[in-house]
Amino acid sequence: MKIRQPVTILAFTLFAITVSIIMYRIFWLKYPIMPTIPGQVWQLNFEAGILPDGGQVVTTVALPSERAGIVITEERIASETLGFNIFQEGGNRVGLWSGTTEKGVASISYRATLLLRPKRFPVSQIPSVSIDIPDMTDRELLFMERIGKRWKGFDPDTRIKAVASFLREREDEFGFDREDLLDWTKLKESHGILNATLILFRTAGLPARSISGLLLQRGVQTSPSVWVEVWNGKEWQSIDPLTGQIYDPSTLLALATGNVPIIKIENGKILETRWSLEREIVSKWRLHFERLKRSQHSIDRWSFFSIPEEFQNLLRILLLVPLGALVICLLRNVVGFPTFGIFMPVLLALAFRNTGLMYGIGIFSSVVLIGYGARLYLDRFRLLLVPRLSVILTLVIICFGLFALIGGKYSLKPLMGVGLLPIVITTMSIERFFILIEESGTKEALKTAAGTLAVAVITFFIVQWEPLQLTFFIYPELLFSVAGVQILLGRYTGYRLSEVIRFRVFKG
Amino acid sequence: MKFQIFQGLNDAGILGMNRRNAEYIMRYNARARFPLVDNKVLTKKLAQRYNVPTPEIYHVIEHHGDMARLDEALGDHKEFALKPARGSGGSGIILIVDRNKKGFVRQSGMVMSKEEFNYHISGILSGIYSLGGQEDVAIVESLIHPAPVFVQVTFRGVPDIRIIVYRGFPVMAMTRLPTRASDGKANIHAGAIGAGIDIKTGVTLTAVHRSKVITHHPDTGNSIEGINIPYWDSMLLTAAKAYEMTGLGYIGVDLVIDIKRGPLLLELNARPGLQIQIANNSGLLKRLRSVDDAFPDGNLLPEERVMWVKDKFKTD
Repeated sequence: MKIRQPVTILAFTLFAITVSIIMYRIFWLKYPIMPTIPGQVWQLNFEAGILPDGGQVVTTVALPSERAGIVITEERIASETLGFNIFQEGGNRVGLWSGTTEKGVASISYRATLLLRPKRFPVSQIPSVSIDIPDMTDRELLFMERIGKRWKGFDPDTRIKAVASFLREREDEFGFDREDLLDWTKLKESHGILNATLILFRTAGLPARSISGLLLQRGVQTSPSVWVEVWNGKEWQSIDPLTGQIYDPSTLLALATGNVPIIKIENGKILETRWSLEREIVSKWRLHFERLKRSQHSIDRWSFFSIPEEFQNLLRILLLVPLGALVICLLRNVVGFPTFGIFMPVLLALAFRNTGLMYGIGIFSSVVLIGYGARLYLDRFRLLLVPRLSVILTLVIICFGLFALIGGKYSLKPLMGVGLLPIVITTMSIERFFILIEESGTKEALKTAAGTLAVAVITFFIVQWEPLQLTFFIYPELLFSVAGVQILLGRYTGYRLSEVIRFRVFKG
Repeated sequence: MKFQIFQGLNDAGILGMNRRNAEYIMRYNARARFPLVDNKVLTKKLAQRYNVPTPEIYHVIEHHGDMARLDEALGDHKEFALKPARGSGGSGIILIVDRNKKGFVRQSGMVMSKEEFNYHISGILSGIYSLGGQEDVAIVESLIHPAPVFVQVTFRGVPDIRIIVYRGFPVMAMTRLPTRASDGKANIHAGAIGAGIDIKTGVTLTAVHRSKVITHHPDTGNSIEGINIPYWDSMLLTAAKAYEMTGLGYIGVDLVIDIKRGPLLLELNARPGLQIQIANNSGLLKRLRSVDDAFPDGNLLPEERVMWVKDKFKTD
């Protein structure tokens, strides 16, 4: 059939739009696909007390940054008395607290939720690290020349191992000897262990940098740890300069890169620092909520996360209404449910959210029955259509009011939520129920009422299903696909399931 | 899409609701022409222009003020039918067989006071019975005295004949026989019997009542099959002409046979129901497709179309 082609093209264009936006989000913006989480979530809390010695106190503290394998999903910086801000300094993120305080200790704090996904963010570019190499004596330069020659033929990983054995000060297959030990000890003495290690890596021809940070383990740390990161050609490896031990990167949380102190203060004294880390169990979706709020991508800025939370909740539901409508399309045109009105079941389902399913059905059914009784009684007064409907509307409101009063008296919250049941819809259902009973008999009317309720309940469960709400909220482009399916359903000319029963005489 | 569960319907060539809507009503029935059939006043005017007899209009009540002129308009007519112009399925229709001082005597024998009668008209005007709920007008027209052909198989009311006309071809027909359950209405939903009609001969075939196949009328106990309907060819022709009248490609033409005036066009329906298939024990889709296969363009005269269907859709 000729008409079909453009419809199919339209529908599939809509599907393609959905798929491409979702793909963009997943592959470029790293959105989660499933609500379960493969990474680790840590809650970092930093607190420090500052004693200003008069004048403008300025404190900077290195903060975690979104680097390889770490995603900050939520962070909060605070102080009661000082102003605060977060900014970028070199390759690091720092929190800055500043201000003048009258007297006493000022407290500063920072909190962050960190998601660790070591496999998700591979570093692709080769880092360029400039290391400040301190002045060196001739003897030191000779020493470096000697071992540099020895390691020349090794691949990066072997060179790292050779450096590690130096740090361990143990003989090994790379020819560590007594003379080396002597020179190495002197190097450490004159430059400090950290710089000496960096010099060794430079000698080995490997980019390296010192890192200050925390060990990722539960509990409180009062001072940061320091280690060295070395580039092996593929990724950064972390090495403890004291023991030569290579760390698993997922056990460390880097805060500052390079030779910078993790905490700096002007015009004051740091009394006490505390970093506490706690493992958290958080759903992946929640993490994304938080992350999207702070995202720089324009597509994220225009996401529904940018609107105030109380409206978000409403939107979450609204985004599912088209899906409810789609279900109604399916149930009416493919299954063949009879319903009062077309979208009334959706509105009912939305109303049930406030009352709960059982109460909702109970309230709705009883109001319709009361209304039916009233309509039956009113029939003898021969009221015109519009005034008659108004009377029923008034009655519906009175019923809802009574329910709310009863609910208030007995603290039954669901009964108080009735006000949000679609009043006009209820009124119209009473009228339609009445007319249907008159015209097609009670059986047909009850069938339609049951169909309406069944569709409302099915829609209710769909609209209530939280993973679905979140999916549509994060990927609102799914609505294009919903429209696509609706369009395709609009061209469904096949039989309805109910017609199998209706035309059963033709079977076989 | 073909599903196993629908195989039986498919094999029988049953027309389903979805296909009827999408491929026939939406395709062949232009929205702009719907008022011609939804509004009985317009339908009657149209029929007059094409010399198709319809029940005679005594009065049209458009406003409450028009009610006052009813007596004058009725004149000597003691009996009449009161209908909403846009009503469907026979709802809102009142048949008056006599008038006296107390008011109007309904066909059931009940007396309706003037006040009750006016209330009913008010209801019609405010749109209770109209399809979309919009305001309506009430028609007062001559009462039909059905020809005795169906008297054995009718419980009160007026039996009518529904013919489905596709692109001007009368493809399927049935007669609707009121029962006690349908309260004298010829409305299948309300419990009337639908009996299929052989297109070639105009003889009744199988019948269906409340989705069950029956052979005898539940109230009168008489056989429904084999009734020879008079004026059959003329009714087929009227039905075929309805296509030229309305320009609608898929309609239900409802006719009654008046004892004096013969076949009358009662109303047209742009969304005719699908029960006719059960009454005929035959699928509509099969017939619609054979029309399309034989006449993809089709510029036949109504008479030629009737000739063709009589040959094509005869029942063995």
